[in-house]
Amino acid sequence: MHSLASRLSSGLLISLLIAFALLAVLVSVNIRYVTDDYVASRLQHDTETLLATISFDNEGRLLLDAQRIDQVYNQPFSGHYYVISSGTQSHYSRSLWDQRIEHVALESGEQRRVIQSGPEQQSLLVLSSGYTLQGYPLSISLAEDLNPIRQNIEQFIYMFIFTASGILLILIVLQVLILRHSLKPLQQVKQQLVLLEQGKIERLDSNVPAEIEPVINEVNHLLTVMGQRLQRSRDGLGDLAHAIKKPLTVMRQVLRRMDASEPDRETLTEQVDEIVQLSDRILKRARLAGHSHSGKYFCFDKDLSALIDTLGLMYPQSNIQIEQRIDENVNCPIDREDMMELLGNLLDNACKWAQHKVRITVSSDQQLNISVEDDGPGIAADQVHELSRRGRRLDESVEGHGFGLAIASDTVSEYQGQMRFSKSAELGGLNVDIVLPLRHKSLESEK
Amino acid sequence: MRLLLAEDDHYLAAGLKKDLQAAGYAVDIADNGIDAEYLGNEAIYDIAVLDLGLPQRNGIDVLKNWRSAGNRLPVIVLTARDAWHERVDGFRAGADDYLGKPFHIEELLARLSALLHRARQQPAGELKVGDFTLDEQQQSVSTADGQCHQLTGIEFRLLRYFLLNSGQLLSKSQLSDHVYDLDSEKDSNVIEVYVRRLRQLLGKERIETRRGQGYIFRDSL
Repeated sequence: MHSLASRLSSGLLISLLIAFALLAVLVSVNIRYVTDDYVASRLQHDTETLLATISFDNEGRLLLDAQRIDQVYNQPFSGHYYVISSGTQSHYSRSLWDQRIEHVALESGEQRRVIQSGPEQQSLLVLSSGYTLQGYPLSISLAEDLNPIRQNIEQFIYMFIFTASGILLILIVLQVLILRHSLKPLQQVKQQLVLLEQGKIERLDSNVPAEIEPVINEVNHLLTVMGQRLQRSRDGLGDLAHAIKKPLTVMRQVLRRMDASEPDRETLTEQVDEIVQLSDRILKRARLAGHSHSGKYFCFDKDLSALIDTLGLMYPQSNIQIEQRIDENVNCPIDREDMMELLGNLLDNACKWAQHKVRITVSSDQQLNISVEDDGPGIAADQVHELSRRGRRLDESVEGHGFGLAIASDTVSEYQGQMRFSKSAELGGLNVDIVLPLRHKSLESEK
Repeated sequence: MRLLLAEDDHYLAAGLKKDLQAAGYAVDIADNGIDAEYLGNEAIYDIAVLDLGLPQRNGIDVLKNWRSAGNRLPVIVLTARDAWHERVDGFRAGADDYLGKPFHIEELLARLSALLHRARQQPAGELKVGDFTLDEQQQSVSTADGQCHQLTGIEFRLLRYFLLNSGQLLSKSQLSDHVYDLDSEKDSNVIEVYVRRLRQLLGKERIETRRGQGYIFRDSL
């Protein structure tokens, strides 16, 4: 799955790195050019100063006014050198000692700039210029060691990279914080979806950034519409049940008062009973929301305790304890009414048979696991199969363990779940295990 | 026992009334929610059978109004809407029991009797007070010497009321309120006749007369 956060942060990180790398390259290249230019312009200036000390005598000999030459040209390997040449004559600065630098005679007005290695691993910028003085050709090459300034540059670049990395690091941290902050609404939406599945809320909070507001509004709208649609169809089915059951109740009354010798009475009573059970089961099954979802999910905290209170009122005489073993934060994205119907029937059946104790255990991982046990007489091993089968058949009219479990079984199959019967290991009575697959696998796995 | 039957279907109500009367209840019918609520607040009823789908005022609201007004009248909800979540809502509103339609009259009678016993802190099953055991199905009473006496309708109603309220002072009008329904001619002198008859069966000293006040049933002497 693509994560918006990782996509954004990797994109931002890469662009930041590229920007800083480009900046580093540009700065280090440019600063060399700039310093070279600066040194060259100084050399140009020095060349002109040197030129002023040069003259030719009447025989055309090249003369230098030693007094006016900078001391730096006299110290050996000082890093500042000159070579002056005119025809076959040439002068080298004393600083060169026994070394020589490359020097070419240039035409007047010509200028050349090269970098070459000098004495003692010096890196020399050599500026050579050609002149005509007193009618004689003259070439001056002035050299300056670039190493000291290069060292400065290197230091500067190190400093630059160090500072830039620091800034980069701060920016990355800042960016992660900004990302986290701006994706917070999405996290909240995700948490709200989990709460919605757990039945703790019925709508998503619409107080969200403008970008995701339409989605939230649409989800809320759909929740409302689907809830209303389900409610309408359930109300309709409720009315239908009401309409069917009233005449059936009257028919039963009439049949009861009928003369027992009437031969059709038995048949009619049976038929009425069959209609009662069939219609009840079919209507109950039609009311199931299934995975099509409704507005309200079952909430174990709230709804289960209401159900258990109700059972307590339904069985006031018996002192049956209903023990709850519910995992914390059970995720139950299952319609409230469906789950009420399922658990109601299971617990009712268990209470009917139990001596003292009923236990309901609920946990959820990839699926919802429910088991309901009692300490009643239970069922024999060969009946287990029978019971499972019987639950699926519609035309079965059974007392006791039958009808409620048949409706529970309808609910379970509506959710593509599984229902198993066995003997309770601890309590000794019937144990009904139910496994319901959960719809939102992705949300589940991320929690 | 005086019973309030709140049911809007006249045919069903009439049939039920007959069955309930046969079982020894004085039955009044309310066919809408407003009447039902009003009647239920009259302190003459021992129990109510309430349909939730009443016209004018929903049965759940009637029940809630009774309970919020402090009316503890035992109520069996009788409804075609018997999904579990509706049942939970019914009990939350203050119902004492819940029966889905269509029902077998035997089941309703069993639950009525169980609820009446519970409301009077009597154990379920046969009504046993002192040496007497009242068989509510057969409408007969067995005394300490093991003799079983068949009772007439009014005798049964009267004795059941005495047994469920033993040790309490019961006025004649109170007794006739709980034995007769609205449609019956009420004559408190008739009560005297039935009390005399019960005394013959159970022993004179069992039902003590407080002149000008009423009667007290003694479960032990």
